[in-house]
Amino acid sequence: MNVSMLRLLSLPLAILVAITAGAYWLDRVAPELDLDVVVDVPPPALADVPRCMGENDSAVATAIGNQFPESGRVTSSQLLNCPRAFDQKTVTFTGEVVGELIMRRGGVWAHVNDDPYALIYGPLVGHSAHVGFNSGVAVWFPDGTHEIIETVGRHAIRGDVVKIVGTFLRADPNDGGGLTLRADSVSVLAEGFTVDEPLHTLQLVVAAVLLAGALAALGLAQFVRRRR
Amino acid sequence: MRMVLRPGPDDLKLIGYYLGKVLFGLGLVILIPAIVALSAREWNAATAFIIGSSLCLIVAGLSEALLATKRSLTWAHGMVIVAVAWLVGAIFAAVPFMLSGRFETPLAAIFEAMSALTTTGMSVIHDLDHTPLSEDFYRHLLQFAGGQGIVIVVLSLFVSGGAQAGTLYAAEARDERILPNFIRTARFIFAVAGTFLVVGTLALFGALTFAGFTPSRALYHAINLFFASFDTGGFSPMQASMAYYHSFSVELVVMVLMIAGTLSFGLHFALWRGDPKNLLRHLETRTLAVTSTLFFATLATGLVLAGTYDSATAVFRKGFFTLISAMSSTGHQVNAGVTYLTDWGVLAPAALVGAMAIGGMASSTAGGIKAIRVGLAFKALTHDIRRILLPESAITVTTYSTGRRQVLRDATARSAMTVLLLFIVTYLIGTVTALLYGEYALTEALFEAVSVGSNIGVSIGVVDPLMPQGLMAVYTVMMWLGRLEYVAVFALVGYLFAIARGRTNA
Repeated sequence: MNVSMLRLLSLPLAILVAITAGAYWLDRVAPELDLDVVVDVPPPALADVPRCMGENDSAVATAIGNQFPESGRVTSSQLLNCPRAFDQKTVTFTGEVVGELIMRRGGVWAHVNDDPYALIYGPLVGHSAHVGFNSGVAVWFPDGTHEIIETVGRHAIRGDVVKIVGTFLRADPNDGGGLTLRADSVSVLAEGFTVDEPLHTLQLVVAAVLLAGALAALGLAQFVRRRR
Repeated sequence: MRMVLRPGPDDLKLIGYYLGKVLFGLGLVILIPAIVALSAREWNAATAFIIGSSLCLIVAGLSEALLATKRSLTWAHGMVIVAVAWLVGAIFAAVPFMLSGRFETPLAAIFEAMSALTTTGMSVIHDLDHTPLSEDFYRHLLQFAGGQGIVIVVLSLFVSGGAQAGTLYAAEARDERILPNFIRTARFIFAVAGTFLVVGTLALFGALTFAGFTPSRALYHAINLFFASFDTGGFSPMQASMAYYHSFSVELVVMVLMIAGTLSFGLHFALWRGDPKNLLRHLETRTLAVTSTLFFATLATGLVLAGTYDSATAVFRKGFFTLISAMSSTGHQVNAGVTYLTDWGVLAPAALVGAMAIGGMASSTAGGIKAIRVGLAFKALTHDIRRILLPESAITVTTYSTGRRQVLRDATARSAMTVLLLFIVTYLIGTVTALLYGEYALTEALFEAVSVGSNIGVSIGVVDPLMPQGLMAVYTVMMWLGRLEYVAVFALVGYLFAIARGRTNA
């Protein structure tokens, strides 16, 4: 392979590496906020719920179900790890209402997350706590329970954090077999709020410079095309 | 190998010139969410999109100015351009993701972009439920661009010669020539997509409004869901995926769009011309009808045996929907992924793995081995059995229909079998890689490898923002291979070998 070929091949690679490294660095230097949004919730009733899978899953589910106290607190990951253990049991669930309140006759559907963004760090804006996917459960709030919910979580908005006592259904017949929580009572533990996302000034400057560069490059291309 | 000729600098310039055209198209695509971000006053997202778009346009402008050539494309050039375009395109498309603060590493951002462009639909985004509107829109828009084929964007808009475009078209795993001219074929594909975009979005908007969404939010969800469903992508505006909506009517519209997305563009053309018989006698339609019936019977039996659901409605809304999502290679979920492991027993997930492996139709937005190859492999098998059973002097001829009746030839059967085998090898590599980490059970590793390798997107929980980086890298390559169905990637490897070891043309 001759030198000019090596140069032709290595140049694009160098450009790709530079773009990736530059974008990564720019993201790292984004301005951060000092948010204090931790919601104080008691620990779950069961410390650990193993995944119910394999041949003996019903025995495991039954054992977990027997240990679980009436109206004990559960997390969404526990419910998903062994849905049969909690089927038709009264549970306490705490989390942030996200998305929207989906209005239906007799009540509303809402999704309630109990992941670290909901209960510890707040929405992923102005901080860099990368703690994975969102996790939560679908909740049916009958009329008379959802009226106290005022804010739902979206971009730069932390929704109301609510405490729900209700019945967990592994395969809800009124939701086509969905995994749901039917709320009996609801209270708001923390009111929702908006996070003022700080402007990433350096990113703004880089964007302006690159936009000018793009216009210049396209102008050059047009100029060369006309001269050809 | 001594006969392999080493490509010269002119060949690389030609490839660079066409890659610049692809990046020009991508740069324009990224400008659309920039406008959305500005109108939604999402300033940081807007600057991220402007950076991503500008980088594409700078490279496109410089390649046009410095590398322009009137040389004709050969098939080898076409294959290499497409293989590299999907890699480089994913890296450039990942720039706004890298700047979003929602991806811990550049690899995660590239994974997300590759997943979007290849319409796989696996996501590693942190805190999706608090994502800016424009970023969410961008994720879904990329699925639309990828589903229609980013190279097709180049063909129909920026390339003047139909013959030049043809090499790129075939290399992008779109080998069905609907119309005699490739440009007209590409534009027909846009016409189909455009019509479905209007009708599908309106239908989803109606279903979502009926389901209790406010008009503005219904529109937001409808546009994103359309992109994800018709292009068999599978992303969703919310982490809960389709389970978020609690609406049978929304699920029905999405199912229709998923099925429409998995039909080949050739069949769309036949339907547009009012020729439904073509649909019924097509080998792919018949293969999908038989396999989906068998898989649904298996899946339903599995769900009943496991005691997962006790009503036909639940089996349909959860089981049938998931099967359509898997077979169409969309990846929408009506369950949390881990429940396939903890609540679906053994048989139902196994049926899903089979459905995901086969995937949809060739020359559609669907992924997987493709029904045509499975149908051809089955035809070849029955052909061989007949040859054994009949007297030696008998002449056996096997035919099949793909719009017109054709005789099954050895070369066609061998080609189908080869790609089928390559997909299976890829699934095994993905499975073994996951198992090597020691964190996943065999069921999880196999399920996820098939889903990723077939560009499906139904996840059992292995793909996660916090998954091992090595596994993420392997899955990224698998999505790339699955989308291009290997040929273009092999051509690229051969080209690199020729650059390193080939003979110079005297």
